[in-house]
Amino acid sequence: MNPTDGDREDNPRRSFLLSSGAALTGAWLASNWPAVAAAAQHAEQTAELAEPAGFDFLSAVDAADVEAIAAQIVPSGKTAGAREAHAVHFIDRALSTFFAAWAPNFRTGLAEFQAAFRAANPASASFAGARPEDQFSHLKTVDGTPFFDGVRTLTVLGMFSSPKYGGNYRGAGWDMMGFKDQHAFTPPFGYYDAEYTGFVPYATEKHS
Amino acid sequence: MTGRRFKANETVDFVVVGSGAAGGVVARELSQAGLTAVVFEQGPRFSPADFEHDELKYFFLNGITVDPRLSPQSFRKNPGDTAGRPPEAQPALYARLVGGSSNHFTANYWRFHEIDFNERSVLGPIQGTGFADWPITYQELEPYYTKVEWEVGVSGLAYASPFDPPRTKPYPMPPLPVKSSGVLFERGARKLGLHPFPAPMAIASQPYRGRAACIHCGFCMGFGCEARAKSSSLYTMIPEAEATGRCEVRANSYVFRVATDSRGRATGVHYFDADNREHFQKARAVVLSANGAETARLLLNSSSSRFAGGLANSSGLVGKYLMFNQGGAVHAVFEHELNEYKSVQVTRILHDFYDSDPKRGFYGGGGIDARINPQPALWAKSKGGDLPLWGAEYKARLEAFPRSMLTTGHSTSLAVEANSISLDPTLKDAWGIPAIRVTYKDHPDDLAFARFLQDRSVEIMQAAGAQKIWREDVSESLWGVHLLGTCRMGNDPATSVVDKYHRTHDVKNLFLCDGSSFVTSGRGQPTMTIQALSFRAADHIAQFAKRNEI
Repeated sequence: MNPTDGDREDNPRRSFLLSSGAALTGAWLASNWPAVAAAAQHAEQTAELAEPAGFDFLSAVDAADVEAIAAQIVPSGKTAGAREAHAVHFIDRALSTFFAAWAPNFRTGLAEFQAAFRAANPASASFAGARPEDQFSHLKTVDGTPFFDGVRTLTVLGMFSSPKYGGNYRGAGWDMMGFKDQHAFTPPFGYYDAEYTGFVPYATEKHS
Repeated sequence: MTGRRFKANETVDFVVVGSGAAGGVVARELSQAGLTAVVFEQGPRFSPADFEHDELKYFFLNGITVDPRLSPQSFRKNPGDTAGRPPEAQPALYARLVGGSSNHFTANYWRFHEIDFNERSVLGPIQGTGFADWPITYQELEPYYTKVEWEVGVSGLAYASPFDPPRTKPYPMPPLPVKSSGVLFERGARKLGLHPFPAPMAIASQPYRGRAACIHCGFCMGFGCEARAKSSSLYTMIPEAEATGRCEVRANSYVFRVATDSRGRATGVHYFDADNREHFQKARAVVLSANGAETARLLLNSSSSRFAGGLANSSGLVGKYLMFNQGGAVHAVFEHELNEYKSVQVTRILHDFYDSDPKRGFYGGGGIDARINPQPALWAKSKGGDLPLWGAEYKARLEAFPRSMLTTGHSTSLAVEANSISLDPTLKDAWGIPAIRVTYKDHPDDLAFARFLQDRSVEIMQAAGAQKIWREDVSESLWGVHLLGTCRMGNDPATSVVDKYHRTHDVKNLFLCDGSSFVTSGRGQPTMTIQALSFRAADHIAQFAKRNEI
């Protein structure tokens, strides 16, 4: 099973989609399953590399800023944060493929974010280059904006979606959260059900 | 895949539009009664191996749900507003594949209680609403609830809740193994004098009718079941219908219009096939089980000179009285690991607050369950209330995932006429068919009761010894997965769309059976009742057919 299932040659829905383009929107054709498949293929190719591939949507400067924001959303520490999970690589891939519809607003929002940061912190060359405490202080002033909410959503997805999409590098996000990517489990599942002694029936009178 | 293939231009006894919880039951019952049927499904047919544990695809890329790029919907809160495209979830969210939303549901299978059917008589009218009794009673539906439990397959413990309505048989399978969330929920609730009990679930706790028992993978809510343990129509009713040799399931086939003749009778359905070619399927009668949003839309898109306001809409109520159900979540963190990402989502619930109590000052009733949103990204993305959203405190919440759980309320939505499915005046789908417009604003009592249940959830988690508790917001609904009430059942053609046998008042050989038939919302978890209604409806429809009364 992989994300290309929706794009198989024998998938009748795909045949319909490709044969009836006149009835469909450009957004659909541009951003649906073929793009997901492309993203997954890219991710699968890069997952085995020691160093992630470059960026398609983000410039190097933009990527550094986005990674710095993501690293404030889920900080590094004893366990992996957004940086170690390569969330920015997921974000770059998502915005250039399956979340391409979000890309224009993201680019505009990032430019506005960077401009506002420079205005408030003239001594810093960039958000990524600023001191962490200055980054934190600035994010406190913008964490109610749609742009910040979008970066947060993408960071979360980049940390906890399947590694085949380019983030959650080698399961770093799942490991941080304590989620085991395992197909089946057997009881007991946790501490409390292990000590459960069974359901005790109530007295038989009927409550209304 | 088995089943009969009908020839082009062959007239079948029944067309059934929709292959989900309702359509699967109707198709199976009619075909087992000796009648021929073609079941239409917009989406593809999956084999068990096609289902994936891919959270991004299933929750964020419409892996099996109605895709906004193909089938857009619009939303507004008030009838005077211009509806717009929602930024995230489709307002009427459902799964689009053979088996419908019974593939991706969580599988909570409560029965409704007696009060759900006659609550208007007991409590009196509620101003500004269409609060009404059902034309049937719990007692009339009870045999069909039992049929769901035994023939679809439900795990549970009969008589465990002192609030349970009467039943004629126990469950066919024991409850699923309790999870730590259930143990803690039960511990806290019992301390407060409440009555938690094992959750009835449409998931096999042991091998059943040729299907495997649950493997506790944790991917129930929002996902299809590759183990075939979830009792979805895909694995239960549909193959049994096909095995009769009288039923064809036609996947990737999108019905966009019900045809009628000069006498006002349904003659069949127009549909697009997988290659976007238009066809017509002739039938002696038509059953719409397309869900509470698409059934209403199909009727409204089937208007004609005889049925100018939409098919079967002489009452003007097609699409009206949409109900989503309400609820509110409470997050709790405990000392030790629960590992709630394992196994089914819910193992304990309580119904102590099921009945509405006028002393509270507002209408409402419901249940509370113990669970989690088990997938990592969905859980991490949750926000609202006082949940930390970023930084060190947020990361600490993420790291506490194995020690975390939720309690979730499931409660009433009042029938408000303005809440509706209608046709968007400008938006069309990829086939050029007018799209769904959802108008929805929760009644204030629905929100008040959801907050009441949330307060009770906090008390339960405190009594259970939670180290930390957060509340999500109880807020106005922007979307729903319970699509109820849009073609309500009733005895009076002026105030309802279908009669007590699900026959439309206006078209003798057109039947509607799915969540659209509901008169009240119940307390959430409607699929059990949708299927009980479907067994009952099919029972009567088959008798009508055999007596030439369609």
